[in-house]
Amino acid sequence: MILQMKDIVKTYGNVVANDHVSIDLNEGEILAIVGENGAGKSTIMKILYGLEKADSGEITVWGEKVNFRSPIDAMKHHIGMVQQHFMLFGSMTVTENIVYNNEIAKNGFFDRKANREKVRQLSEKYGLMVDPDAIIDDCPVGTQQRVEILKTLYQDASLIIFDEPSAVLTPNEVDDLLRTLRELAKAGKSIILITHKLNEVMAVADRITVMRAGKVIKTLNRADTNTDELSYLMIGRHTADLQLRPHNPGETLLQVKDLTMGSAAGKKVLNGVNLEVRAGEIVGIAGVSGNGQTELVRCITGLEREYEGSVTVCGHDVSNKGVDTIRQAGLSHIPEDRYVWGSAREASLSDNFLMGEENSEKYSRHGVLKSKQIIEHADKLIAEYSVKVDNSRQKMKELSGGNAQKIITAREIEREVPLTIACEPTRGIDIGAMEFVHERLVNKRDHNGGILLVSSELSEILKLSDRIYVMYNGQLNHEFKHGEVDERKLGKLMLGGKADE
Amino acid sequence: MNFSWTYISAIISSTFRMCSPILLCSLAAAVCSKANVFNIAMEGCMMISAFFAIVVNYFTGGSVILSVLAAILSSMAVSALLAYFIIKLKASPVVVGMAINTTSSGLTTYLMYVFFKTKGLFQRPSLVGLTKVTPFFASWFPELSQMFYGLTYVDYLSWVLAIAVYIFMYKTVLGYRIRAIGINQEAARSLGTPVEKYQFITMTLSGILCGLAGCLLSMGSVTLFIQNITSGKGYIAMTANNLGRSHPIGVALASLFFGICQSVGSFLQQTSLKGQITGAIPYVATILASIVSSIRTKQIKERKIHEAMKKTVERQENAS
Repeated sequence: MILQMKDIVKTYGNVVANDHVSIDLNEGEILAIVGENGAGKSTIMKILYGLEKADSGEITVWGEKVNFRSPIDAMKHHIGMVQQHFMLFGSMTVTENIVYNNEIAKNGFFDRKANREKVRQLSEKYGLMVDPDAIIDDCPVGTQQRVEILKTLYQDASLIIFDEPSAVLTPNEVDDLLRTLRELAKAGKSIILITHKLNEVMAVADRITVMRAGKVIKTLNRADTNTDELSYLMIGRHTADLQLRPHNPGETLLQVKDLTMGSAAGKKVLNGVNLEVRAGEIVGIAGVSGNGQTELVRCITGLEREYEGSVTVCGHDVSNKGVDTIRQAGLSHIPEDRYVWGSAREASLSDNFLMGEENSEKYSRHGVLKSKQIIEHADKLIAEYSVKVDNSRQKMKELSGGNAQKIITAREIEREVPLTIACEPTRGIDIGAMEFVHERLVNKRDHNGGILLVSSELSEILKLSDRIYVMYNGQLNHEFKHGEVDERKLGKLMLGGKADE
Repeated sequence: MNFSWTYISAIISSTFRMCSPILLCSLAAAVCSKANVFNIAMEGCMMISAFFAIVVNYFTGGSVILSVLAAILSSMAVSALLAYFIIKLKASPVVVGMAINTTSSGLTTYLMYVFFKTKGLFQRPSLVGLTKVTPFFASWFPELSQMFYGLTYVDYLSWVLAIAVYIFMYKTVLGYRIRAIGINQEAARSLGTPVEKYQFITMTLSGILCGLAGCLLSMGSVTLFIQNITSGKGYIAMTANNLGRSHPIGVALASLFFGICQSVGSFLQQTSLKGQITGAIPYVATILASIVSSIRTKQIKERKIHEAMKKTVERQENAS
């Protein structure tokens, strides 16, 4: 046994993040720690890596009792971590990123050749292919992650922690990552994998520790378990099977006609898009990201005003109109990126709930805000959506991704307007929060609202949509009814394949 | 012909003289911005050092070495104070920088009265300026010998320093670490670099450059101290730093540009053009250069986004 963490306790204020957590790890083993957001899995790893200090408990690494004060201490004990948010120097080369702080130097001068050679050797040894001279900013995310892994290897780490490594990767890159994890374990490295994606866990882990609400629920061997059991242990209940009740759609809420938009390069990003969303239906748009979905949504919501064709929202012609006009016409929007578009990280939760509504009579009079109503509204939605926060004065950035998404979803769905556009509403959030968001979207549909759902997650589209459009190369090529199509066929169409193949 | 050669070499010499203080200060700004600290206090550092150079010069009976040393040390002290506020106390660099710039203007005026009992201008025959140097090859081109007229060894040093700063930043391990801090402070910290210590030292050392610039002002072409001797050169240096993208060589070229503007401006004073117009030339050039620089930044950004989009599309096409 190379690592033993015993009875670790960590509290933030009155929240117990880790409640007597014990974890151990053998040499050359892949241990997965699974749990929902806020289960305490990141906290326990931050403690191990020296980013946080435990209130009590014991850590033993390679038989030595340790008390890390910083990641530097952890690195000295051969522990490395690949963080979810990469810590890279964007405009520097791969080599410069890997050798930092342990450079090969000649009389104080950076020895470009020797450092590059060292990186090349390392990358060949572990089969992590990188171009030592490439600039990080030009590398795809998967390569950037390989650089992070090489960094820990360069620092001679024997125990490597991966924090949600697949969250940022494309499916192909995930396959590469899983292969890398297996190879590292074969080379004698011990690995801790933090994740909530159970299929990845089942693919690579030797043992699995399930955490929930700050406690270790159970540690199992991979061979003795399955995803159903794991998800039950993680959530503490069985996941509900969401079924769309048959429902007759009503009047047309959104009508898009012959929408065409050019780009700077002269290529048409949107090419004659026609679509319709009616009251009481969820319309899904499936597609590989970058095929025009983002632009389509930007045109409909008024973020983009330079296009040809027409957009009608709830009977109002809003073609080429601005955001405010369109929102007034009856549309709400859950944006693709919860921090870039969806919220203000530095603002309080109640301010985030208010955004877009600050001029309505409900929350202001003659330009003066009604604080009481605003706070009440925020508190009400926080309770209704069971967002895990202390109070509505907290800042948005203090929330986990899932909770932040709940806030934005709450704000947009609870606006009393008939039509909602939901873009990637469950990207990077855990099963519990995902189920909740899905339930709310379906609830709105059942109450005669219309929803346009744009998602790169096929299972989501297939589960929720009454109708599905496939978007490829700026066009909506195919349309299906609920249950008419499966994931495999949809996947093929999304890449430009033919329906009858 | 003879006249025009003389005329041109006079403009060149004046360009170099105008350029050096700007160059030194913009190098200081460049190393600071490479280390991710925003330094706008070059004006203040320069003024303080120009003043103390004269004070020490006067009280030591004209010791040039001690004067230069005093200029450097006083400027480093101001820079260290600035660094303490910005890096340790996390104060806004703009507020602290402006505070130092305005304070130094008032402080030097006040101290001038305390030390010398004069206002506005202090000049004595006993003051000794920096040694003027004519390089050995100047005599090879008699027509152009005027080119090196009035240049001191600090003027030459400023160009050597531009190259030295380049080598330091881009070839040494220390420079590489400082640049890394500038690119991603958190990443550098996560790898065990004492980021604040590096930044503090970088900023304090950048004071040396402003100190040299200061003694050029008060002991270069003329040896005296007048109120507001820097006359906005520190701010021009800020623009030169932006224009040169904080790269030592770029910064040197930008400084040269501003040097040309200043010298052309002062030469045109001898023509029939109105003094107010010729005097405004360097400042108008600064504004125009800032505009050009920001447009170019935007274009580069757009091009990068465009390339990134193209790459994504290509990747997707390859994948399918």
